[in-house]
Amino acid sequence: MEKPKHKADRKVGKVFLIFAGICVVILPFVVLAALSYEPQEIEAAVVETQSRDFDQNGEAVFANYDRISADYLQGTSTERTLAEYYSRRQYAGSPPYIPHKVQETDGTKLACLTCHARGGWTQELKRNTPITPHPEQTYCRQCHAKTVTEKLFVASDWMSLPPPRLGRSHLPGSPPPIPHDLQMRGNCIACHVGPGAVTTIRVEHPSRGNCRQCHVPDAFTVPFKRKSLAG
Amino acid sequence: MNITRRSFIKSLALNSAVAAASTLFPGISFGAWKSKDIPAGMIQWKKTPCRFCGTGCGLLVGVSSERAVAVKGDPNCTVNKGLCCVKGYHSIQILYGEDRIKKALVRKNGKLVEVPLKEALDLVAEKMKETIKSHGKDAVAIYGSGQWSIPDGYAASKLFKGCIGTNNVEANARLCMASAVTGFLTSFGLDEPMGCYDDIDHADVFVTWGNNMAEMHPVLFSRMLANRTSKKHVKIIDFATRTTRSSQGSDKSILFRPQTDLAVANAICYEIIRNKWVNWDFVKKHVSFHKGKTNIGYGTQDHFKFKDKAETVDFKQYKEFLKDYTPENVEKISGVSAQDIKYMASLYGDPDKKVTSFWCMGMNQHTRGTWINNLVYNIHLLVGKISSPGNSPFSLTGQPSACGTVREVGTLTHKLPHGVVMQEEARKMAAEIWQVPVENIDPKPTYHTVEMFRALDRGDIRFMWVQVTNPMVTMPNLKRYRNGALKDGRFMVVSEIYPTPTSDVADVVLPSALWIEREGFFGNSERRTQHNEQIVPMPGETVSNTWQIIEVARKMGFEKQFPWSRKTYIEDIWNEYIRFHDNPKHRMAPYKELKARSGIQWPFVNGMETKWRYNPKYDPAAKGDDFDFYGKPDRKAWIWLRPYEPAAESPDSEYPFWLNTGRVLEHWHTGSMTRRVPILHRAVPSSYVEVNPDDAARLGITNGSQVKITSRRGSIVMTANINGRGNPPMGMVFVPFFDEKYLINEVTLDAFCPISKQPDYKKCAVKLERA
Repeated sequence: MEKPKHKADRKVGKVFLIFAGICVVILPFVVLAALSYEPQEIEAAVVETQSRDFDQNGEAVFANYDRISADYLQGTSTERTLAEYYSRRQYAGSPPYIPHKVQETDGTKLACLTCHARGGWTQELKRNTPITPHPEQTYCRQCHAKTVTEKLFVASDWMSLPPPRLGRSHLPGSPPPIPHDLQMRGNCIACHVGPGAVTTIRVEHPSRGNCRQCHVPDAFTVPFKRKSLAG
Repeated sequence: MNITRRSFIKSLALNSAVAAASTLFPGISFGAWKSKDIPAGMIQWKKTPCRFCGTGCGLLVGVSSERAVAVKGDPNCTVNKGLCCVKGYHSIQILYGEDRIKKALVRKNGKLVEVPLKEALDLVAEKMKETIKSHGKDAVAIYGSGQWSIPDGYAASKLFKGCIGTNNVEANARLCMASAVTGFLTSFGLDEPMGCYDDIDHADVFVTWGNNMAEMHPVLFSRMLANRTSKKHVKIIDFATRTTRSSQGSDKSILFRPQTDLAVANAICYEIIRNKWVNWDFVKKHVSFHKGKTNIGYGTQDHFKFKDKAETVDFKQYKEFLKDYTPENVEKISGVSAQDIKYMASLYGDPDKKVTSFWCMGMNQHTRGTWINNLVYNIHLLVGKISSPGNSPFSLTGQPSACGTVREVGTLTHKLPHGVVMQEEARKMAAEIWQVPVENIDPKPTYHTVEMFRALDRGDIRFMWVQVTNPMVTMPNLKRYRNGALKDGRFMVVSEIYPTPTSDVADVVLPSALWIEREGFFGNSERRTQHNEQIVPMPGETVSNTWQIIEVARKMGFEKQFPWSRKTYIEDIWNEYIRFHDNPKHRMAPYKELKARSGIQWPFVNGMETKWRYNPKYDPAAKGDDFDFYGKPDRKAWIWLRPYEPAAESPDSEYPFWLNTGRVLEHWHTGSMTRRVPILHRAVPSSYVEVNPDDAARLGITNGSQVKITSRRGSIVMTANINGRGNPPMGMVFVPFFDEKYLINEVTLDAFCPISKQPDYKKCAVKLERA
């Protein structure tokens, strides 16, 4: 009874040794690859000033799209996750806080838009900059606060709705509807395209510019109740 | 399209990972908030004005399962056109602080204990009756707020002025807007701005007078920036005593020494006349010149009395009066270069430029607050830049209903909803609408706010009911008034939503419903009345402030005057209240219209709002073909000869610094609401003192080190902030007042403008040392 067990153990040990050996051989290559990996520097997009919603500003949205380089459109990165995206908001759609250092007195300009209007790689933060969907608003600190502590004054009983669920296609493989409000967020490519976008919501087909051709707003969902005209 | 093989494989892997995650966790919520267990997207949007400043932004509050869960700007509201500030976007979180007061509290054996609401209201009525019996009707008082909903203030005025018969009705707007009111009354005879926010879209030049709009009225500041972006020639001049975010966003920042705005305004007029920029067509037809008393004092002693006396003069005398105010002379007083004074004058004087001036607390919290309001009107009147699109001297309000509730309802000691208590006509009208004998309404005003708290300290007032405000943080020279409130034989009732230093001194705390937990109205800076329905239920035993007053009034025997049902009382009060304003100069919109629309500007005549008053093109009450300043008996706007006089207390060798106080963008007033909003507290968790870098270096103060600030009234130790968002000039420190841990008002001085009785929170003398 003892022998076979011993044999089996030996076999496991052998397999492990071979595996470990392979790992040791591969490791330097992995490390080397990781070290030599440099996120691609992609030319920044330029999002032109536009206000209000797509419906009033479709032209600006299209023009903007034309201006963006193919490189930027196809740029990807895995830096930004949806979890991080929502962790900076108090409810889906609230203005996020500023997660990086900012200088209070930087001369005469309120300078956020230098980076956030065009996106692109920032050497200082070693990240791709997310693009604001509303660069026409120039006084950013009006809505975006820089937090300096995690503590609360008193605990809060705050709760909100869960963020919109992903993949809400009505049919298998059909284009999902737009699950959020479009006020100040009507410029799809600012958030859904390029290396600054959140990985999970980046579109796989950035070469198609007319987003609303297939994706329709589906945020207003108070159930429709038909009233008979006959009363 | 150059999709490389590598990126293709990468994206493939990514996509399959995402697909896997979404099958594993359907409906996963990643948010930084607790999620309500209801399907995403089930949300209804309801309109309301914002709870905070006097801008009066329209909000849409997202409601789901009887909770407010999201906010967006109301695109239908012309004020903000869909944009809010960080306070507005997170405003609904003020409902959900864990320590919300949901039950009535009564002090028993020195401790506040929970009691049923009825018991607390009985006690309030009982105490009030008892105090009136033993000490007279003028021993009871109510102290309200520019954050009172209009029906709150109306019910308070009706109960105290109409039924009880005391003029002991005041509101914190006395600390905030009183100088704006007296400025309007002395210059135009009628309160509130002639223009509206549309001026921002029309103006070519903006001058902000001691007004950090980027932080205090951020949405309007953004509207100015938007105008400047669309028309490249637009200029914003920040004329202030310290460098702020507004200075950074402006085209030019001009600093003046505290109090010397008086001299600079006169110097601008001097230059306008010297350069022959006076609009004589306008001045001859629509302006008269007047002189008031000088050396008018500062009101720091009890029982201080002052009454101005107007004397009519002519242009020659005015020109003679101005001769001391040459730019060169004023440069010496103000520190503003003669060149900059001339530059400002040239902007106002240029006939091709439309000019809008904005101001708020810098000019109002000023021991010569009425005067500086008059002086800025003088500039606009000399060049005729008023009451037309883009030409606008614009007094902004700090609170959401300082105009709506305090100024229009008249919740100040001398005021009635229409007119003042001194006028027999006004008393008769009020008595008739209120169904009280006219003798009930006392023709003599009693105490303005500072004097009211002094009376409480002295014992002339024995019972005080405080609603929607936090005087134990905001009164200047605070120690005296807190000690007064705590004296034996004083009974304090506080209607509150959270524990505050004011509820700490209360004998009874009444649990109040917040803004969208009840129906109500606000009135913003541009004469816009805004209705909100009840959007979410009232928590616990909370009720609206209006209903608290109604209940107490009934218990005191005034059922006849307060007959309304719990279901319709807000509408009923509105219908009764607007009878006071039923004339073309002030007609208010009917309830139904207000309910349907995102705010309506009064005068609302024949279904039309009035955007620019005193201009017959827009204002149905104005006669003639260009302007008609119908507020004054001579149907003219008044230019006042108001000199420069120094501040009540200026720095000297012992106390060498100016102390300036104010707000920050993230916090509203004393922070009792905004500090309970996670992101706002996390952004500015505590107060600090801004110190000029050169002063700091000289005193060995470094950023973050502890500094002791001492005045003749008290001292405080707090953290130094150097090169922060604001930067005071040498010889000045600035402290935000929102933090109850650092009661800066124990250091400030209770000097006030003798005409408006509004205290000056911006100027007193302090010394500074390393702690």
